[in-house]
Amino acid sequence: MTFAHLIMLGLFLLGFWCVLTETDLIKIVVGFNIMEASLLLLLVKMAYVPGGRPPILFPAAPDAAKIVDPIPQALTLTAIVIGAATTALMLSLIVQLHRHYGTTDLDELREIR
Amino acid sequence: MKKAVALVLMLLLGACLLSALSGIPQAEYRLLHGEAPARIVQHGMDDTGAVNLVTGVLFDYRSFDTLGESTVIFTAVAGIMMLFLPGQVPLAGKGLSSMAKRSVDLLLPFVLIVGLYVISHGHISPGGGFQGGTIWATLTILMCIVYGTQFESQFIEYDAKKTLESAAAVALLLVGAVALFAGYPFLSNLAAGFPGGTPGQLVSAGHIPWLNAAVGMKVAAGLSLIFFSMVKKKSGEG
Repeated sequence: MTFAHLIMLGLFLLGFWCVLTETDLIKIVVGFNIMEASLLLLLVKMAYVPGGRPPILFPAAPDAAKIVDPIPQALTLTAIVIGAATTALMLSLIVQLHRHYGTTDLDELREIR
Repeated sequence: MKKAVALVLMLLLGACLLSALSGIPQAEYRLLHGEAPARIVQHGMDDTGAVNLVTGVLFDYRSFDTLGESTVIFTAVAGIMMLFLPGQVPLAGKGLSSMAKRSVDLLLPFVLIVGLYVISHGHISPGGGFQGGTIWATLTILMCIVYGTQFESQFIEYDAKKTLESAAAVALLLVGAVALFAGYPFLSNLAAGFPGGTPGQLVSAGHIPWLNAAVGMKVAAGLSLIFFSMVKKKSGEG
């Protein structure tokens, strides 16, 4: 375990705390995004090689032992895109809630219901 | 009370994650899972024709995964458009000052070119369809903010974006189907006879530039649709 893993753990718990305790829906979405960012950090950390070079073999191929692993980076890209799509969907649901009830606070929404 | 329960849950999860993370050995991923990454680093350029190995993984080795990924965007866009049902007219914003409008006029061709560059050079340099498509979508969002939604909706029609997104999805499937007709698995690249070219040249890497172009159009139209659906309002509302 390294320092980067500890940062990742801290970020994940911060997001988890945010999701559990906040009552505002927008802040909960922010919490989900913080959790997601910590997982992306973990993926990129796994791909890293000390003194690593980007996996681009142009104009000349870097030393093969120094090239960072391209697979987790591709997975990270996939995760970012899917995260953006789900965030957009969550936010649009919140926009509709706000249009119908005039609030994004979970406690207030419970009282209205 | 609620916070105390949350704190206990958080500490529990933290302890679990801590024990899981301490199980990760110090050596990096590539050394742990040697074969696949080592093969991609050594033979990736010959296998895919792309000098950018990340793009090679994304659009060749894992191209089926990328197809699923673009389906996720498609589903999200469809869901958001269902939430904001059609028949709602765009909110007529007046836009910002004329100085901001002229600045965007100056900026517009350059942003278009940067997006085009990032998409078309996806197999050579960092970038690709997802990134370049996002840059293009930023352009329509910028137009929407600076000129007001009314102008933006006239400039790029809503239906045109919908058609563009669906067309890009179909193009993605068609490029994949070309390999089927050649007698190879769906979405196979160089094996199915796509010309590999010289790695590092603009025209190279078989079907990767085509897939990048399709994904770029799809992401640009999709993100633009998401933003535009969200800023719309019913005609009656203030």
